[in-house]
Amino acid sequence: MGKKRKRSEKAGAAAVPKKDDVAPERPVRTLLGWKNKNEDENDKEVEVKDNGSSPIFRNKEKVLVTCSRRIVFRYRHLMLNIVSLLPHCKKDNKVESKETKGATLNELVELKNCSSCLFFECRKAKDLYLWMSKCPNGPSVKFLVSAVHTMEELKLTGNHLKGSRPLLTFSSNFEKDAHWKLLKEMLLQIFETPKDHRKAKPFHDHVFVFSIVDDHIWFRNYQISVPHNESDKLPRGGLDKMTLIEVGPRFCLNPIKIFGGSFGGPTLYENPFYVSPNQIRALQKKKKAGTFAKKVKAKTRRKRHEMANPLEPDEFADMWKD
Amino acid sequence: MVVPLVNDDPMIDNETEDSVEVPSDSDSEEDVKLAEPSKTAVNNREAILDKLGDISWPENVDWKHKLSIDIDQEQEVDVNDDLARELSFYTQALEGTRQAFEKLESMGLPFLRPADYYAEMVKADSHMEKVKSRLLEEKRKMEEADERRKAREAKRLSKEIQSQKLKERAKQKKEDIESVKKWRKQRQQSGFADGGDGPDKALGFEDGKVFERSKKKRPGVSPGDRSGGKAKQAFGKGSKMQKKRDTKNSKFGFGGRKGSKKQNTADTTNDFGGFSKGAGAGNKKRKR
Repeated sequence: MGKKRKRSEKAGAAAVPKKDDVAPERPVRTLLGWKNKNEDENDKEVEVKDNGSSPIFRNKEKVLVTCSRRIVFRYRHLMLNIVSLLPHCKKDNKVESKETKGATLNELVELKNCSSCLFFECRKAKDLYLWMSKCPNGPSVKFLVSAVHTMEELKLTGNHLKGSRPLLTFSSNFEKDAHWKLLKEMLLQIFETPKDHRKAKPFHDHVFVFSIVDDHIWFRNYQISVPHNESDKLPRGGLDKMTLIEVGPRFCLNPIKIFGGSFGGPTLYENPFYVSPNQIRALQKKKKAGTFAKKVKAKTRRKRHEMANPLEPDEFADMWKD
Repeated sequence: MVVPLVNDDPMIDNETEDSVEVPSDSDSEEDVKLAEPSKTAVNNREAILDKLGDISWPENVDWKHKLSIDIDQEQEVDVNDDLARELSFYTQALEGTRQAFEKLESMGLPFLRPADYYAEMVKADSHMEKVKSRLLEEKRKMEEADERRKAREAKRLSKEIQSQKLKERAKQKKEDIESVKKWRKQRQQSGFADGGDGPDKALGFEDGKVFERSKKKRPGVSPGDRSGGKAKQAFGKGSKMQKKRDTKNSKFGFGGRKGSKKQNTADTTNDFGGFSKGAGAGNKKRKR
């Protein structure tokens, strides 16, 4: 499928003006017969760029989900949770993170016919970085992931259909800056299950929350529980009776950098407030190391002070002695 | 807004009882930020918007492809306040779901899962079993604690009632005696108007000596004891014991605070001229 699309894309890019008279003359052969016009129109990027008319939009997003070697179990479980939430994803083997990952990962994504990628990179068995990238030609984002809770935790009591399409809610502050807008679009494309995906189920029973608080993107997943009898209509007052039960996972993304290409390319954005966890740990260590030195210093200072100001002899010391 | 009572925020309540180490949502370590934005940070807005234009879906794409809702955050949320933060996420989700459901309903397509639609769920049944058992366990624990508390309260209450009753009884008795006395006085004053020695004269307790001991000898008293066993026991050796007790009291102190003897006062602190490790050591304040 991906191969096919690629070819048509190339054709569209190369022969933009010629396309209108050329395309109908040379129908492309596919496995199931001739590729007809209707299917051709489905290819979103080509059609939209070419004639701007409203073609039938079809979301063909496919996400490759993978992680680096030596990932911690908690983060691996988080990854598996995300795999279970995204029916349109493909999970792949672990990737050696030390390799020049731009090239290998791009190759891998292409090999798997995916259009975007989630790469969980675990460093020092402590810090989790998440790469989110649109694959043939960018952009890509690197996040630091914190506050991770997986679905396995027993306190998250909700449950929902596997593969039902989620409702996405974004907080309004995604509109306040350019990079947030870009992130919103990427999140939307990656986390929304394509309509009529073959693994998708036709009902909506969970909702994702993407909210920016304190310049971090917080993710939550809730089950929607609402009393109903029919499947296409809510009973009267059903909206008021609706409750949400958290399903998990939970995580918090701190954007570090946005790159122009996929897993590389020019830096478009850099988080000005970001401090890497390594630096934080180093700072803490330094602080801890300082305590003994401080103690010694205080002792010598005190000694010097006592030497400088000796206590004057008490003249009444022996007054009441008998 | 309706908030489910049980599952309001299962992560926040009783976080402490969980022995499994779970990183808090607001790890102080995670929240370290530069105080001011670094000057060298890149922010190429045009390029970002350009990229956004490249990847974004066409403008007129149908909402049913996106299923996304934007929700206004009314006020800034404090990140470190777990409850407020979670509540804001919850309200955002709830509001979004309401709007989305209205849209879905207006489209007329089935969107709610029918009761007889069974399919694979995100969490397996075995896992949900665990969740359920945990909830039950929690409920049971709460009930038990409740019961214990109730029992404690009832015990306290019954004690109070008992003491009240005793008091009441004593009072009643006193009153009775008082009333009888009064009545006797009245009768005496009226000069035994109703006829001399009636049957009430025979009552022993009416002669005003109710609380005195009876003069009867107690059983088991030695014949030499002229007090009839009513004197204090062990009077003879008591004086000796008492003496010993008194000396001990003066030595070790009885009554009053011991702490004040051991504390430094202004003059003990000033008095380090006479400080020596030898014989002089000891508490100056102790009586010799």
